[in-house]
Amino acid sequence: MNALSMAWSAVVAHPLFLIGLTLGVYQLGQALYERTRMALLHPLIVAITLLIPALWLLGLEYPAYRDAVFPLTMLLAPATVALGVPLYHNMRRIRQYFWPVMITLMVGGVFVTVVTLLLAWLLGADFAMLMTLAPKSLTTPIAMAVAEQVGGIAALAAGFVMYTAVLGALMGPWLLNVTGVTEPSARGMALGLAAHAVGTSRALEEGDETGAFAALAMSLMGIVTALLLPVCVAFWMML
Amino acid sequence: MLLIRGLSWLILFQLIGTALNVLFLPFLPSAIIGMVLLVVFLRFRGRVSDSIETASSGLLRFLPLLLTPPATGIMMYGSEIAADAAAILVSLTVSFILVVPLVGHLMQYLIKRQLRKEGV
Repeated sequence: MNALSMAWSAVVAHPLFLIGLTLGVYQLGQALYERTRMALLHPLIVAITLLIPALWLLGLEYPAYRDAVFPLTMLLAPATVALGVPLYHNMRRIRQYFWPVMITLMVGGVFVTVVTLLLAWLLGADFAMLMTLAPKSLTTPIAMAVAEQVGGIAALAAGFVMYTAVLGALMGPWLLNVTGVTEPSARGMALGLAAHAVGTSRALEEGDETGAFAALAMSLMGIVTALLLPVCVAFWMML
Repeated sequence: MLLIRGLSWLILFQLIGTALNVLFLPFLPSAIIGMVLLVVFLRFRGRVSDSIETASSGLLRFLPLLLTPPATGIMMYGSEIAADAAAILVSLTVSFILVVPLVGHLMQYLIKRQLRKEGV
């Protein structure tokens, strides 16, 4: 092995290498996004489309990557807690719209779960796959717990959550634009309910009120589904 | 110092959330419990301190970056979904495309109706 390849291996093996790579591709995405403002070039989308082939070329599996960038992921927990601040700032508006929020949550939550299950069932998915698909709109930890509880595969459920997240970053705000949803709170509800944390993150880019309603919708959708889905599945099995 | 103090508060709420998750609420993630506790705390106090404001706006600005590692996890599941790939991709994509406008319009309609009612 020559000196150059030894140096390269040492760089790749350094604990900061993958964190540096992640920060690098993210900033590239940020720069592209600021130039173009195209949803397709959202930093999150650019980062994962560059990271996946890069990890593959380096011969690294996802668990190795996940462990290496744990310092970044660790900050997700306080960031989630921090969503309480926009929620608090918009509390007056949230209380004012209590019934619209509740009705939209119930209708939207039931609709997205039923449509997902119905389509997958019509296309031939089996029971375990259906139960893995059901929690796809929830934030990852809730989705994994719910999938586990109703007889799905937790790790795979996390994958579907992330696929939904990518859809949310790519198409969420665009779908709202083309169908003429302009009210910030309504845009926030749609993004948070349909695309959990990534939807909330996109909503925060639009403003504090949109972000607050997205955080609200994401949390309520997670809580209500975690409570009701296992009960509904148990009831269905009894029939 | 402001950032450090604010971050300490957020971590404290996260940790209380973890304890409550283990004790009483196993079906809710600890960070969501922590978020609810933070809202209750802020309501009780009546304002957001500079430290919490600094730490939360700092963290939330980088939320997409923090979500990048978990989102990269989709690379793991290629082979497992191969058998049901069509059913999975169609149901996830179509339900998403339908639910976003539905929720947006329903919420927008209900808000406008409520504002009209309050107007009269």
